[in-house]
Parts: sequence; C-alpha cells; structure tokens
Amino acid sequence: MKKVSFRNDVLPLKNKLYRLALRITLTPEDAEDVVQETMMKVWNRRNQWDQIESMEAFCLTICRNLALDKTRKMAGSEQSLDANELETPDHSHSANPEEQVIQQDRLRLVRDIIDSLPEKQRSVMQLRDFEGKSYKEIAAIMEISEEQVKVNIFRARQTVKQRFLESEGYGI
Amino acid sequence: MDYKYIEQLLERYFQCESTLKEEEILRSFFSQEDVPVWLMKYQTLFTYEAEKEQLLGDDFDERILEMIEQSEPVKARVLTLTQRLKPLLKAAAVVAVLLTLGNAAQAPWDRGWDNPQEEYAKYHQQETDSINMVGPVQAENLMGDSISSVVAPEAPKY
Repeated sequence: MKKVSFRNDVLPLKNKLYRLALRITLTPEDAEDVVQETMMKVWNRRNQWDQIESMEAFCLTICRNLALDKTRKMAGSEQSLDANELETPDHSHSANPEEQVIQQDRLRLVRDIIDSLPEKQRSVMQLRDFEGKSYKEIAAIMEISEEQVKVNIFRARQTVKQRFLESEGYGI
Repeated sequence: MDYKYIEQLLERYFQCESTLKEEEILRSFFSQEDVPVWLMKYQTLFTYEAEKEQLLGDDFDERILEMIEQSEPVKARVLTLTQRLKPLLKAAAVVAVLLTLGNAAQAPWDRGWDNPQEEYAKYHQQETDSINMVGPVQAENLMGDSISSVVAPEAPKY
C-alpha cells in the first residue's frame, strides 16, 4: 500500500479544494479558511490514511462539509444556499466594440448564474465541469446517489443554458 | 464541414448523457477560432472553466506546515542512564539463557568424563528410552544400534 505523505499527497490538492470551497461559500476569504481547516482536519486523522482508497475524494468531502457549515453559520447575511434572484447584468454598456470586454462580461455572466444555483447543483457542476470527476466519484464525494448527481447536473446545465442564452438575447 | 457530430454531442451534454471524453471534445472544439456562427452562442458555456484563476499561493503551504508543526511539539526525551542500559541488559539476559540451554543440550556437566565413550552411550540410551515411544523390541534394537555406532565422541563444546 502506498504510503500517504501530507506534503506530496494532501498539500497539492489545495487549489482543487479552494475552487470547491469558493463555489460553495462564494467568498474568497471564507474559502481559504475552509481549505486551511480541511488540511488540519485531514492531518488530525492521519491514523486513518492507510484505510482510505482515494485521498482526493476524502479531502473533497471534508472540504465540502466544512464549506457548508461555514455557509450555514453565515445564514442571515446576503449569501444563502438556495437560488438567489439573479440580477440581470446591464448589457447596455457592451455597445463597446472591444471584443475582450464583451467576452469578460459573458464569462462573468456564466459564473454569476452558476453561483446563484442551489449549492448541490453548484457543487456537482464544479466537480464535473471543472474537476472532471465521474458521476461515481462525485456521488462518493458528496455522499449522494449517482442518480441524484445526474439529476443535479441536469438541472444545473439546463438552468445555466437557459439563463445565459436569455441574457445574451438569444431566446430559446 | 459537417458539424452533426458536435451537435449530437451538445444534445448528449444537455441530457447529461455525455462521457468525460465527449465533454472534453466539446471544450476543445469551442476553444478554437473557427466556431460556426450558429454554434457561437454556446461557446462561453464551454470555455469559462478554462479560467482557473482561483489559486492559493506558496505561502499557503508554508502556513499549513507551520500550523501542523505547532500542534505536534517534538518532545526531546532525556534518556536516563538506566533507560539507556535496559536494552543492553535485555540482550545480555537473552544471551545468558541461550548459553545455558546450549550447554545443557551439549553434555551433562555433572557427570564425570573418565570414560567418555561409556558415559556418552549411557546418556544416549537414556535419551532414547525417555523420548521414544517405540515398543521394547524396537527399543532394544535401537539400544544395540546406538552402542555399536558410537565412535570417538567429539570434545564437548562449552
């Protein structure tokens, strides 16, 4: 059995953990705190490392749960776990011919739409479209069934497509 | 150029039937320059992930490692002389036991060595009698064997 090393196996996951934490907490400072807490928690459980099949899945699960805890504590402030009312960005200023600015606008729009999705949908999108995890892996990390993973990804992708195209004036 | 394949993949993507490989193909396709006009609307949806700007710096690593070290102070144990000697004493004890057993197995040191051959034969017979569960006839045969096969014994090794 391969010996797990904190330096070589856990620390390198920091950015992957950060992206997931950020997707859930929507705040960079909170996300960084979450990653820190995750690493400490993983370190404190080092006597279990030998029994773990996937170190990455283990860390991502802890990360997500800590991020959820943090977000719940913040409940009452603007950020909530459920879908927010998406403010349609003002596109009147994008009469600016600079293609780059328009592109930046579009990117921000997509991210805003994703950030406004319910947490489960956000997380599955993050794990699938960003981190390239299989449905099976995502199910293990989020501790839900594969069927639920698929349902959430379906809803997420449909919502993103719909809102994005509407916003961009394409209509469906 | 026929974009039917891409359109099929798009369909599969939104039905969540696509594999990771197929999704990768879609991303490659949309990140190139020549995206046909009627597919351009989807472009951003497949290129926004490429912007992986969210990163934690190296100083983060340092901080974490520091935090870990703080939680696990390495206690330098002062070894007393007794503690240092204990392993040695254990080793000595083991050696002593082995030597004792070795000697006991070698030869009965309380017997005389005036007639080593006879003594050896007697000893061997004793051993045979006590150890073997063979019948009397066989034991006699064995006895006979052991006596006749005795040649000059080796000097006892202490």
